[in-house]
Amino acid sequence: MEQPNDLILEMQNGSEKAFSQLYTMYSEAIQGIIYSIVLDEETAEELLQDVFVKVWNNASTYSIEKGRFFTWLLNIARNTAIDETRSKAFKNSRKNLSTTNFVDILSSSDSLNKRTNAIGIKKFVDALKPACIKIIDLLYFKGFTQAEASKTLEIPLGTLKTRNRTCINELRVMVLG
Amino acid sequence: MDPEEIIASGKLEMYACGALSLTESQEVQEAINTFPEVRRELELIEESLLLLAETVSPPVQAMTWTAILNSIRNTNSNTNDNVRTMNWPAITGWAAAILFMGGIMWMLKQNSELNNSIQVTTTENTVLREEKANTETQLAENNEVLEVLRSKDYQAFTLPGNQAVAPEAFAKVYLNKKENIAYIDTKGLPTPPRGKVYQVWSLKMEPLTPTSVGLISAESQMGEGIYKFVNFPEPEAFGITLEPEGGSETPTMSQLYILGMVTI
Repeated sequence: MEQPNDLILEMQNGSEKAFSQLYTMYSEAIQGIIYSIVLDEETAEELLQDVFVKVWNNASTYSIEKGRFFTWLLNIARNTAIDETRSKAFKNSRKNLSTTNFVDILSSSDSLNKRTNAIGIKKFVDALKPACIKIIDLLYFKGFTQAEASKTLEIPLGTLKTRNRTCINELRVMVLG
Repeated sequence: MDPEEIIASGKLEMYACGALSLTESQEVQEAINTFPEVRRELELIEESLLLLAETVSPPVQAMTWTAILNSIRNTNSNTNDNVRTMNWPAITGWAAAILFMGGIMWMLKQNSELNNSIQVTTTENTVLREEKANTETQLAENNEVLEVLRSKDYQAFTLPGNQAVAPEAFAKVYLNKKENIAYIDTKGLPTPPRGKVYQVWSLKMEPLTPTSVGLISAESQMGEGIYKFVNFPEPEAFGITLEPEGGSETPTMSQLYILGMVTI
């Protein structure tokens, strides 16, 4: 999928229409990232709203030449969700959920996404190696830096890069064919 | 690094996750901008990750977009409102300041007018007080004169005008022989010409000896047209002559206006 640079530029110039189209493209994935961190549907909806308001308000700080739009969105979403989990209210209402990862979410819910079964991700996830689950969870969903993940998983940085590539390649084969 | 190496390094996957260090990110971004095959590879990685995240997401609620739209529009209009609400207190403040200044100016003006008015009134009071004092003095003088006229110690004489000089003129004298005090009423005398003054003389007849009694002047005036004289020799007659200012040693007989006996 090519990055929709035209839409991004239009949004940066204040086009609500372009913003709406970008929202349609990315909102579900972003909500998935948020949900994998906060593990509460209502909170995820609220934070998705917060994230896109931030995107609109800070659109001018993004530069096509300096980074990927998806990665920029990803960082805003993860930071917003992680901030929420650090808030007192959130800590009081939820405990011991930090060990849940995206695979747990997929296995515990049938009604999450209607496309899940069609694209066979659930099957892929079922077959995914525990090592891959951990790596993708930390690097992609939880927003660990490669250094942090290397330390947490006690894997050398080079090995981590290779394994992450292998895991995502497997994912790619399954979802994109 | 050539494109194949970058692709094989696993850096693109790390980059898509946002997990690379800043230096490596710049390196990868450069490679993406330079090599289309690297960009395409990254796009596939992104798409896979995007789909993975989507599978984890609960359905996105239609209300969420409405809320975002409301939020960004409110933010915009709030900004405008803020500008407006920022302006109102400022405008009100300025208006109040201007009114306040106007009020101060008005009060200062009023104050100055009142001060002027007080000054005028004070001056008027002073003038009135002086007038009152004058009037009282005059009243006292008139009362004194009246006392004199009523007193048994005084005798009244009408001094006729000199037929040769002023046939119509006359003067009245009220004389206290015991104490030698005379009040002379000059109502019957014409107003003296400029530079001239009436002089009163006490006369002895045998031999004719005139002695100056004094000048009809403000110094000797006691009341309206009434003059008081003391310290003169006991008279047999009074004469009044017109003399140069300051009076003369001897009477100018050609200017004798009044002459009359004061003996019975």
